[in-house]
This record gives sequence, C-alpha cells and structure tokens, in this order.
Amino acid sequence: MKRTILNRSRVAGAGLLATFALALPALAEYPEKNITMIIPFGAGGGSDTLARTIATVIGEKELIPVSILPENRPGASGAVGYTTIAEQKGNPYTLGTVSVSFFTTPLLGGSPVSYRDFTPLASIAQSPYLLVVPTSADIQSLEDLAGAGRLTTGTVGVVSDAALLSRMTADALGVQIDAVPFDGEGEVLAALLGGHVNIGYLNPSEAMSQMQAGTLRAIAISSAERSEAFPDVPTFAEQGHPEIVHTQLRGLVMPADVPPEAVAYWEGVLEQVATSEEWKTQYIDRFHDIPDYADAEGLAKSIETTNARYEALMKELGLIN
Amino acid sequence: MLWDGIVTASAPAILACTILGAVVGLLIGALPGLGPTAGVAIMLPVAAGFGGVAAIACLGGVYYGSMFGGAITSILLGIPGDAPSVMTVLDGYPLAQKGEAGRALGMSVFASFVGGIVGILGLVLISVPVSRFALSFGPTEMTAMMCFALSLLSVLGGRNAVKGFVALALGFWIGMIGLDPIGGPSRYTFGSMDLFDGIDFSIVAVGMFGITAILMSLRVAVDKPLMRYSFASLVPRLGDALRSRWQLAQGSFTGFFVGVLPGVGATAATMLSYAIAKRTSRTPDAYGTGIVQGVAAPEAANNSASYGSMIPLFTLGIPGSATTAVMMGGLLMIGLQPGPLLFMEQPDFVWSVFGSFAIGNLALVFLTLLLTPLLAASLFVPLALLYPIVLTIVMFGVFAIDYSTFSVTLAIVAGVLGVVLHKLDYPAVPLILGLVLGPLLERNIRRTLIQSQGDLTVFVERPIALVLFIGTAVVILLPLILKLAGRQKIMADEAEV
Repeated sequence: MKRTILNRSRVAGAGLLATFALALPALAEYPEKNITMIIPFGAGGGSDTLARTIATVIGEKELIPVSILPENRPGASGAVGYTTIAEQKGNPYTLGTVSVSFFTTPLLGGSPVSYRDFTPLASIAQSPYLLVVPTSADIQSLEDLAGAGRLTTGTVGVVSDAALLSRMTADALGVQIDAVPFDGEGEVLAALLGGHVNIGYLNPSEAMSQMQAGTLRAIAISSAERSEAFPDVPTFAEQGHPEIVHTQLRGLVMPADVPPEAVAYWEGVLEQVATSEEWKTQYIDRFHDIPDYADAEGLAKSIETTNARYEALMKELGLIN
Repeated sequence: MLWDGIVTASAPAILACTILGAVVGLLIGALPGLGPTAGVAIMLPVAAGFGGVAAIACLGGVYYGSMFGGAITSILLGIPGDAPSVMTVLDGYPLAQKGEAGRALGMSVFASFVGGIVGILGLVLISVPVSRFALSFGPTEMTAMMCFALSLLSVLGGRNAVKGFVALALGFWIGMIGLDPIGGPSRYTFGSMDLFDGIDFSIVAVGMFGITAILMSLRVAVDKPLMRYSFASLVPRLGDALRSRWQLAQGSFTGFFVGVLPGVGATAATMLSYAIAKRTSRTPDAYGTGIVQGVAAPEAANNSASYGSMIPLFTLGIPGSATTAVMMGGLLMIGLQPGPLLFMEQPDFVWSVFGSFAIGNLALVFLTLLLTPLLAASLFVPLALLYPIVLTIVMFGVFAIDYSTFSVTLAIVAGVLGVVLHKLDYPAVPLILGLVLGPLLERNIRRTLIQSQGDLTVFVERPIALVLFIGTAVVILLPLILKLAGRQKIMADEAEV
C-alpha cells in the first residue's frame, strides 16, 4: 500500500516540477524576507535536530536568497508551536516540521489545530523503526516471535509509533504484545537492556549503536524496502507480513492557504536538499534514516494515512470515540 | 587516564568553554525557575558550534554549574533556584535569616565540591558495573525504591502527621494533572490545553517557596530593623565542612546511586539524602531550623547525582534524565554516536570530557567562594527594595521555562496556595515530595502491573524489590516497636541540641 503511494507521488512530483518551471517568472519576488521555522519542541530533541539540519543545508547550499530562522516554541505536547504556525494562515514565511505530536495531540483534543490547518510542502526522508530484542534472547526472526505467546514492549508515551507497530505486529502474528508506556527513549532502552521488556521498536540511530556493540539484535525493519544503513535486516514484508509498513515522516508544512507558487517553490528547494551530499552526510549518515523525497501531494497522502492509523489506534485503546 | 584527560582539557580553548559553561550554569541555576535541563538546552546550539570535547565540556559545565548555582537563591531568599535545590531551602534559608548566609553558602560550595569529586571518581572508576546495577532496576524495583524513599521521607512531614499526609496527598494530586502517562486520557485538565503536559514541578516549588514568602512579607512592617552588618556572617567557615563530613559522604553516595537510576533524577536524590541525614541524626529536630548539615547533605547529593546520571549516557548510550537527553543531542550534533562503544572507540574524547568536569568543578569552587561575601551582602538590602526585584526575576525565570504566561499564572496560584497552607499550618514540604515522587510511584506501579498482567506477587518475587520492601517495613515499624519498648524517651533524653 505504501509502495503505491510512493510511486504515485513520484509521478505527481514530475508533474509539479513542470508547474514549478512554468511558474518561475511569477516567483521572482518570493521569498522576499526571512523565513521563520517554528520548532514545537525544545532544543536537542529529534525534531529540533531535523529542523536545524534542514536550515543549515539550505543555508550552505544557498538554495534560497533569504535566511531561515529556527525558533523553538515548546509546550503542551507540540500544540503551542503548531498553533503558532497555523495562526499564520496564508503566510508563506512560516515553516514547521511534521512529528508524531503533529497527529496525536489534536486527535486527543489537546490542540485547537489539526493537520487540516496546514499545507504540506514535501517530505525529504523517512525514518523506519527496528524491531529489536536483546542478543541474549532466543528470538531470531518474526517466526520465533510468533511462538512466544505473550510479549512486552516499551513505548514513549501511550500513543506512539512503537505502540502502533506493536499492535500491528500482534495482529499479524497472533501473539499478545503488551506495551508499557515510559517517559523517554532512554527509559525504554534501559528497560529493554535490563530485560524488563522483551522487544523494542527503536529509531535507527538508537538501534545502530546498540547493534554495533552487540547488545541488541534487529529482527525486522518497518520500511517497505530494506534500509541501506541496515542491509542485513529484513523487512516485515520479506518475512510474510507486507501489511506492516510504517515509518516516521520527515516532512515540512506551512500554514493553510499559502499560495500554490510557494508550495511549488519549496518542493523544488526540498528536492534539492533531499538529493544533496550535505543532507546525506549531515543527516542521513548520522541518523541512518532512509532518503526519500515526496512532493506536496505525496506528503499530503502520507499525512492522511498516518492520521487514520493513529485515530484507529486511539479508538482501539478507548482514548477517543 | 583521567590525568591525560585533565591535561587535554586544560588546553586554553577547552578550558575557556568549560568555564563559560560553568558560569552560564551558575547563573541559570541561580535564576529561579530555570534549571539544568533548560540551561543545557539553551546552550546547546552555541556549544555545538565549538565542536568536539569543547562542546560537551561546555554542556557538562552548564549541568553541574547549575547545581552550584541553585543553592544561592535557596539560601539567600528561600526560593529554590531549580528543582534539585528545593531541599537546600529547608536549612539554608533559616541559616541566612540567622545572619549566617556566608556560612550556608560556603557549606553549599564545599558540599557541591565534595559531591562533585565523589561523582567524578564514581564516573571514572566504577561506571561500567554501576551501569549494570542501574539496568537491573525495572518498574518493579523502582516501585519498591519509591516506597522505601517515602518511608524515609515521612520524617519530613512536620509535627502533625495528619496535616503532613494531607499535604502529601495534595502533592500527589497535582502530580496527576495532565495526560495520564500510562492510560492516555487527560486528567483534571478541564479541557485546558495548557494543562496537558502537567504542571512543571519547578513552577510549584518557586511559587510555594518564593511567591508565598513575598506575599507573607506583606503582613509585616517594611521598616523592620535590618540585620546588622557583620563581616563574619559573610565568610564561609572551614570547620563546618569537617563537622558535616558524615552528611557530605552520605549525600555524595546517595546522590550518586540515585542519580544513576534512569528516570529518577537529582531532585529525588536530594530528598532522600536529606531524609537519611535527618533520620540518622541524634538531633533530628534541629533539621529545618538552620544547621549546616542540612545544607551539606542535599547539596552534595545533587552534584553527585549530576555525574551519576551521565553514567548511563556515556557507558550505554541511554539518557536517564531530561538533561542528559539534551546532552545526548549534543553528542549527536558533534557527530558522535552515543552508545556502549563510545568508551572504546573514543577514549580520548571521553577522558578529556571527564577531565574538563574535574577542572570545572574546581573552578566553580573558587568562583563561588569569591562571590559568596558579595551575594551574602544582599541580605542587607531592605525587603522593600529587594522583593520587587526578586519578584521580577522570579516571574522572568518562570516565564522563560516555556515562554508561557500560563506558567506565570500557575506560579502565582501556587504562591497563594502556599499562603493558605501556611495560615492553616499545613507543611509545604510534603506537598513538594508528593509532586516529585507521586508520579514516579504511580507510573512504576502501573508499569509493573502491565508487565505482570495484574499479578501482585511480582513485587515480592524479585530480590531487589523484596529487600527494599523489607527495608520499608523496618523503617515504618521500628519506631513503633521502640515506642512500645518504652525506649523512645531514653533516646530523646540522649539527644543534645
């Protein structure tokens, strides 16, 4: 399912690129002032690093004639920052990145704005999750996992990608997986290494250092195809479960109702970022994400799919009606 | 190896970054509201630009520097500079009121230094075995640990046990506001988006200690005679350090081991070490009236805990606290991969960073000792001039946590609540304890029960948990048994004030 979206988005991308070329004269003036990039979380986190790296790469390659000014607006599980962006309706000088809270906080009723109040621009990478077990465990493949009967996993917060993936795995394999919510990625990792939970769904960079040290073993990756960073880790699909594909989107959004020229402009800029050497060395190689450019339409579709998944999970957990 | 690290870290560029970090940490720690996590996050983009050892030396400096700085406002104004210095208020502020601010500040510097040295040595010498010990603490063990801590902390409840428990329960309740961390739905938020993330502990602490004190001062005449100038009250006394050696050692070790545990943190470590100091004292009633030992234990603990909490980060790649999570962001930004291999692949880097900790710790001692008379002199400023300035700084500090006016409102509400509690003679300390430890206890009980599918026997099946629960029972039952044996009175007679 994911694959068709990606293919379709590539076709659509080509079409939009043509529009971009035609629209060039009209864009001569845009952007005429600095762009504010709102980061709805504190400094040092994943969203912060992503946003700042994008800004740095754009700056180094001089892709736009103005500066990008990153600004941290943390609070209320991302709602403060995302509301700040959405309030700039029609203003093509405010940028933001997509995160898990972009979906979950509005769904839980914690934010006055939802994904419908934003204009998707493009996504430049996807971050898969690795299903890992301690090296001391007997589990070598999904098949072994299916025979385990009951498992526990750790997740950051109640509604997260790890919780979502553990539900998908449990349904696919017919096992019981109880997700224990912790307060941070570090706590999940500690519980996993200490043997207090059996399996974990980790970010590529977290999983990489532990796998290199031989403390954890990856048995599946949640992307549609294998990741270059983990050539030996098979996908869920390869192990007979093509329905389990879920990655975190690394995309950018603007407030609703920005002019289509601005969207086309940013698609062009972000495609150059996604294919640049600087992006590869400063982000992909460092965080082991999968480089993958998708245009506005592609990102919009992925956003809807992701939102529907979270919504279904929350209904299943009884958090919303 | 540490010596090589110290030599590398003495290079002018790294030294400058270490000192810069330490000074920024000192200031942020002293500013009520902003604590180590915010400090490290604020410095992160700047420090990342230094690259390599200098970047992490600078961030580390902010972290332990804030542990030094937090004590300053706690002692001088009775307003905790950050969460880990709340316990320092209990004895530090009364000391300052007695005209011995210099002594209290000096003690906090000695204690921070000793705690720092113990923490650094622990980090250097035993980080690998200790990190394994930390991993053995799962939700079950954490639950037992929190019960044990609470049993020790019951000594801080004040004279009226019922009022102490009411305040504790109120703290537990405030800690539950926000999104239910285990179940998901929001609790007691009344639909307010601002309450979704819960109530930041430092806002309540600043409100209930700082704003309450300022509001209470409105009742007294402003032209109250000022403390008399005396140079002796401004300078630290070395003898205090010797007199508090047991509290220093106890605080350092408690802080270190509690700090290592992922998700517990320096604040809980200070509470525990203060409670142990009071429990084991022959004159427990003297605690809270202004004795240097009451400053020594928590101040040694919070510095030591800051190094302890770096152990899981450097040895396992696990950020065990919010502050170390930001530091991990720093490691990633300078192109290092935090993980179990960091020590092996980048030994020079790790040892140089540890070396910079040793240098920074020493530099802070001189810096703060020099500043002590200057800071202590602030007590000679009339309250009518001092409090408006303090109130402004407090409001700015609270606002700077997440640039939200809602936080400022919350701090004022906490301040008013503090006045009400004071009037009704309810102690504020149990409320703060409940707010810090309640969420930890609740989360770990519920995590354990998810793991065990509701089976309660798991709590006594695991050895570490069982030992801690037995310890809890002993702490609760021992005074009762002693009382029954009629020995309570003899002990009271033995006590000397």
